[in-house]
Amino acid sequence: MDLGDYVRELEPTEERRKRELARKKSYEILDHMEDVENEFSEVVQGDSLYGSTAPSVFVGRSNYPRVNTGVLQPVASEADASDHATSSDWYGRGLEIDDVLSRRTSLLNSRRKAEVTRPKGERFLEIQQEVAAASEPVDVEVQLDGSPDIDVSLDALRTPTGPNARAVDADLAENPSVPRAVEKALGDGDWKAADAAGYLYEKGLDVYDVQRVFSTGGLGVEDDRRLVPTRWSITAVDDIIGKHLHQEIQTNPELGETRVYYNEYMGNRVWVVLGAGRWEFELVEMKAPGSVWNPRPDGEYYMASASEGYGGRTQYVDETSGAYYASRLGVLEHLDDIGRQAKALVLRAVGEEYWAPVGVWHVREVVRNAFDGPLGWEEASDTDDTGEAGRGAEAESFHDAVDEVADYLPVSRERLRQKSTMYNAVQSGLGDF
Amino acid sequence: MFQAKINAGLLQSSIDAVGVFVDECKVRVDSEGLSVKAVDPANVGMVELDVPADSFDSFEADDELLGLNLTKFDDIIGMAKAGDVVALELDPETGKLKIQIDGLRYTLSLIDPESIHQEPNVPDLDLPGEVVLAGAEINRGIKASGMVSDHMAFGVEDKSFYMSAEGDQDDVRVDLTEDEVISLTAEEDARSLFSLDYLESMSKAIPSDAQVTLYVGSDFPVRMEFELQGGDADVSYLLAPRIENE
Repeated sequence: MDLGDYVRELEPTEERRKRELARKKSYEILDHMEDVENEFSEVVQGDSLYGSTAPSVFVGRSNYPRVNTGVLQPVASEADASDHATSSDWYGRGLEIDDVLSRRTSLLNSRRKAEVTRPKGERFLEIQQEVAAASEPVDVEVQLDGSPDIDVSLDALRTPTGPNARAVDADLAENPSVPRAVEKALGDGDWKAADAAGYLYEKGLDVYDVQRVFSTGGLGVEDDRRLVPTRWSITAVDDIIGKHLHQEIQTNPELGETRVYYNEYMGNRVWVVLGAGRWEFELVEMKAPGSVWNPRPDGEYYMASASEGYGGRTQYVDETSGAYYASRLGVLEHLDDIGRQAKALVLRAVGEEYWAPVGVWHVREVVRNAFDGPLGWEEASDTDDTGEAGRGAEAESFHDAVDEVADYLPVSRERLRQKSTMYNAVQSGLGDF
Repeated sequence: MFQAKINAGLLQSSIDAVGVFVDECKVRVDSEGLSVKAVDPANVGMVELDVPADSFDSFEADDELLGLNLTKFDDIIGMAKAGDVVALELDPETGKLKIQIDGLRYTLSLIDPESIHQEPNVPDLDLPGEVVLAGAEINRGIKASGMVSDHMAFGVEDKSFYMSAEGDQDDVRVDLTEDEVISLTAEEDARSLFSLDYLESMSKAIPSDAQVTLYVGSDFPVRMEFELQGGDADVSYLLAPRIENE
């Protein structure tokens, strides 16, 4: 089908309805958090030993290098623990913002203060690392300090978290099953963290699993192993695995044509335009007034962008931060899958419906899954194509494709041109002349 | 056979000129002198370097092709003081390069030239704009452009040469008329856009006092030719443009 028709069918619908829903949901989530508070008070009253299955771990970043670090356990004992760990599965099941928030706020973080250097013999840290390394959630019993802080709250800027409690000690109530590859990485103190992480990814661990091990200081040269705050570790692992894939695709043949993909999730609309030529990447973000992270006081769309050339980046991005590395990973995975390299522009429009931050994983997943389903050139002659999320379409040239997409973006072409390096111009090679 | 003595300053600026694009390269030596032709891994920038035999203090060579790790070589030559003479000799027994700088001897293992990126074919380009100006002028335009954007344009129009950059906030433009440059020939107006990543590193290798001949076309590579150390070596750069969205 023609790209113009394709893009027209993608026009946002029911936006107003979604916005109203979002307003309502924010009250619902506050109610939910009160329930969690009550439930938790019941569970720990008069008994400071708390046992349940831990699907994940958390490392804070305040006070670095002396941080709060803990294991996360669902407060309701009958809850399915694996359902509470962030994974690509959340996208697959179509979790919405409130679903994510209710999962996050239902987790008790039993934590201790620790030096990020992980002093030897700290049993709590070892248990935390076993939880992180395990392929399944692990039963853990935690000895809590008498006065848990069960104050949960929701504000516009911070991802809501569940209750915190101070842990005195912890014990594994079962023997965790640790994948062989993870055991190998944990046990090898001569292996650089980036190489070990790349190995785990190649062995089939998803970035979510690699990140948990990385965050608890499980990878790297023995003396350099550190606890890495969860938030930093997410982007660090996206970058490490991204660099690993970047190296792979640099020698792939060029895609040699233009393809456009679209997907949307949680109030985020994403277009991925792949073009002929060597690897070049850019993320351009457009954030609606009223959405999270729009710092503009003038009620205009906030724009941010970052890009890299064939050789990749040498410095951390100034704008777009974690979303850059998350979306780049999604694109690189696709190119690695199809054995090609290409120029790639990701356009992310964040709507007002994105009313609470759920974490950068949703950017990774919306991009990863944009490539699913039949590809544009296979569908080109198929008049039944509904143009739903995941379908690609072909266009004459890279700039033609972005021009078409630009009709559906919430900003003018002029603003896009000012902000986007790749919309403005793409790098040619000497072989083209 | 290869045996030569060369002024450390000339050798250093030659390495710098090639190092803009590559970390390793093939060095050709023959009775005429030493030459390098290399293209960066992205195939965006190319350099040609020629150091004629009579620019050396002494020079003897049969046809040889040396695979050089430029990063290592740069470190070694960095040990030399201004005015030092560097002696280079290919050891026929070991195939290694013996380097001697004022009593310091260093034996450098060479790389198999076959393992290095192929030497590029130089595209034959017809570029309508030709301007000759001081290296300092170009470097100034590049530096100012880098303050506002990650790409900049070179162009000729109305008998003048210009460099310009548009950022999302600020703009920069340098106009140099026919009278303000050493010479200017323009068969037609032309303009091409380039990545400042590349230009900024090229700029470091362009001597301020050198006379640079710059050839520009429309959405075509830019060619820059200049001499090192007052004519002891010739450098030619070719850089592929960023193609603008019309």
